[in-house]
Amino acid sequence: MTGSTTDHLTNRRSFLKIAAAGTAAMVSRSLPAGAAGKTITILHESSFIKPFDEYVSNTLAPAYEKLTGIKVVYEVTSVGSLPTRISTIAETGSGADITMNGLLQVIQFSNKYLDVGDIAADIGKAQAGWYDAGKEGVFVDGKWKAIPFANIGQLMNWRTDYFAEVGVKKFPETWDELYEVGKKLKAKDHPFGFELGHGFGDNHGWLYPLLWSYGGSEVAADGKTVVIDSDETARAVDFCRKFFKDTMLDDCLGWTDVSNNKAWMADQISCTNNAESILWFAKREFPDIGKVTDQAMNPAGPKGRFHLLNLISHSIFDFSPVKEEARAFMRWLMEPKQLGGWYAIADSYYQPLLHGYDNAPMWDVEPRNKPYRDAVANAHLPGWPAPASRQVAEVVAKYVVVDMFAKACAGASTKDVIKEAQAQLKDIYRSA
Amino acid sequence: MTIASERLLVPAQATRRRASFAVLLDRQSVFSWLMMALPLAFLAALVGYPFVYGILLSLQDRPVAHTGTFVGLKNFVHDAHDPVFWRVAINTFVYTIVATLLKMVGGLGLALAMNQHFRMKNIVRALLLLPFIVPTVLSTVAWLWMLDPAFSVVNRLMVALGWPKPGPSWLGDPTLAMVSIIIINTWRGLPFYGITLLAGLQTVPSELYEAASIDGAGGWERFRYITLPLLRPIILIVTLFSVIFTFADFQLIYVLTHGGPANATQLFATYAFDIAMGAGQLGLGASVALAMLPALALLIVALTIYLRRE
Repeated sequence: MTGSTTDHLTNRRSFLKIAAAGTAAMVSRSLPAGAAGKTITILHESSFIKPFDEYVSNTLAPAYEKLTGIKVVYEVTSVGSLPTRISTIAETGSGADITMNGLLQVIQFSNKYLDVGDIAADIGKAQAGWYDAGKEGVFVDGKWKAIPFANIGQLMNWRTDYFAEVGVKKFPETWDELYEVGKKLKAKDHPFGFELGHGFGDNHGWLYPLLWSYGGSEVAADGKTVVIDSDETARAVDFCRKFFKDTMLDDCLGWTDVSNNKAWMADQISCTNNAESILWFAKREFPDIGKVTDQAMNPAGPKGRFHLLNLISHSIFDFSPVKEEARAFMRWLMEPKQLGGWYAIADSYYQPLLHGYDNAPMWDVEPRNKPYRDAVANAHLPGWPAPASRQVAEVVAKYVVVDMFAKACAGASTKDVIKEAQAQLKDIYRSA
Repeated sequence: MTIASERLLVPAQATRRRASFAVLLDRQSVFSWLMMALPLAFLAALVGYPFVYGILLSLQDRPVAHTGTFVGLKNFVHDAHDPVFWRVAINTFVYTIVATLLKMVGGLGLALAMNQHFRMKNIVRALLLLPFIVPTVLSTVAWLWMLDPAFSVVNRLMVALGWPKPGPSWLGDPTLAMVSIIIINTWRGLPFYGITLLAGLQTVPSELYEAASIDGAGGWERFRYITLPLLRPIILIVTLFSVIFTFADFQLIYVLTHGGPANATQLFATYAFDIAMGAGQLGLGASVALAMLPALALLIVALTIYLRRE
């Protein structure tokens, strides 16, 4: 997957060398006169990994103030409240200068964000180029409306001990192989557990990739033509139904995002789809389970292997009184020394979108996380191959694709669930 | 002279002004409006403004962070074509009607039981209020654990009694999920009914019961011909409140199922929230939320007229 990686920064020494090189030069060049004494406020959603937030407040912010005289305020908002907080700031025109974006915020608020294409281009040039996924997640109406920061990938988490019980040492390569393993494991009372309910991440996290890997998609690349009603979709739905019936717990249909984590730590399931947090948490709180937890890329379908892009990025509000200072800060923040340190503090929970980090030392801390790095190469936003749009956001918020699969798992016919999804999608994409 | 007369004049004028103000205040029409001004301003700011703003939003195509464009009733037409909207409407009515009936019958039973004399009556009455006092989000999280097949008390018991493992999937099965949220809503709302009806029961004069007993009325007759008619106004008011709260319920669904599986438990409030906050379509979200209005308004008007006639 990372075959396309350039050979820049391929070992620890050259990585550090570049990291240490020229920091102040670029910052002082791009800062407007009289910037010292001003304040830049960055809004961020509270991280699952505490040291990640502390690194900004305790290390990066003081370092920048020392360098430029500009005070950096790092405002943390609780998990789940970021969209509401950005709404308030965007609607009132005050509150922060830079904000973190989750999956859909770049689409929703793009008209309040500065075009940061120049900064993104320079960062890309300096650090071995962006992954395509990076651009896909922040490119709205032909402009870079944010600077990609990281992906929080959704991958397969599996129990090595239970898989070994049925003679499987390596995670299956295809959905069909995984199905066969799951059938055996369910018979041994170690079922799988994939979210099919109305959470936010863990359902979309595997169902979009499943649909794509069978060749289906909700809309064509033009972002207007609904194409869900296809044989490819039907095959994906048929697979999902038997996958649910023969490998999973019945309760998965009602699961929300906490459910699979709970089931994992309670030793109830042998395979799920989640972010790295499941291993991070197990290692610290349930070490026995942590020891037998491994991670793998999503299985491939007839049309290849896919992952859901869960991109985090940073945007500058166009009404900020310190726009130029904010731009200069973003350039500084995205330099290898700062960025690398910030990534490294969270192991690899945040997967870089720059090829310059493909072989960074952070990947050696927990080798079991390496599939997350490789998954970025074929990760896409919901709605792919269409570009990000408000219609895509509506489809996600209404769980159209998730419910199509869930209804089939609950017993509805493939034809009916696709017909219902198509009606909903046509209604939503009519405004495109 | 002039100076002196001026000095005399000033307090006289002030007195007159004070007097006229007092006269004005004495007028009932003025005084009553003055007293009403503050609550009216309060209502206008906290109820009127959001309500009118909600209506305006529902008539606009208004993506978050964009200026809105007036589209008339287009959002409502969009809702009418949305199959999920109708599913949500049916869900909301089923949820409200069943939960309210259960609360009404259960609450009345609870009140009648609590109206008896027994030991530690006051403590038991206070404990009964607990489900109502505990913040909904907290108690719902507790239910979330109780309804998880792996940890559920109910499932453990059923499996021990021979039900095939792991027992019913309370939130995974579409019908059971609806049953579950109705049970939890009833559990939470029962004390409100119970305590209010108990207060009503205590106002029923005991002479009526004594007279009826002398005339040979049994327990059922006393309930049917004395208790029930006297409690009716209170039952109606509690029902009115309960229907409004249940119809617009949000927290319970949001924590427990988020409307899943496949919208089987999606209600108006949660669906409106997903569209407005999740999808960023403020106008469309407002139109879904406002769709609750006609049904609720009808009910409120009907019940108010009925109560007046009583």
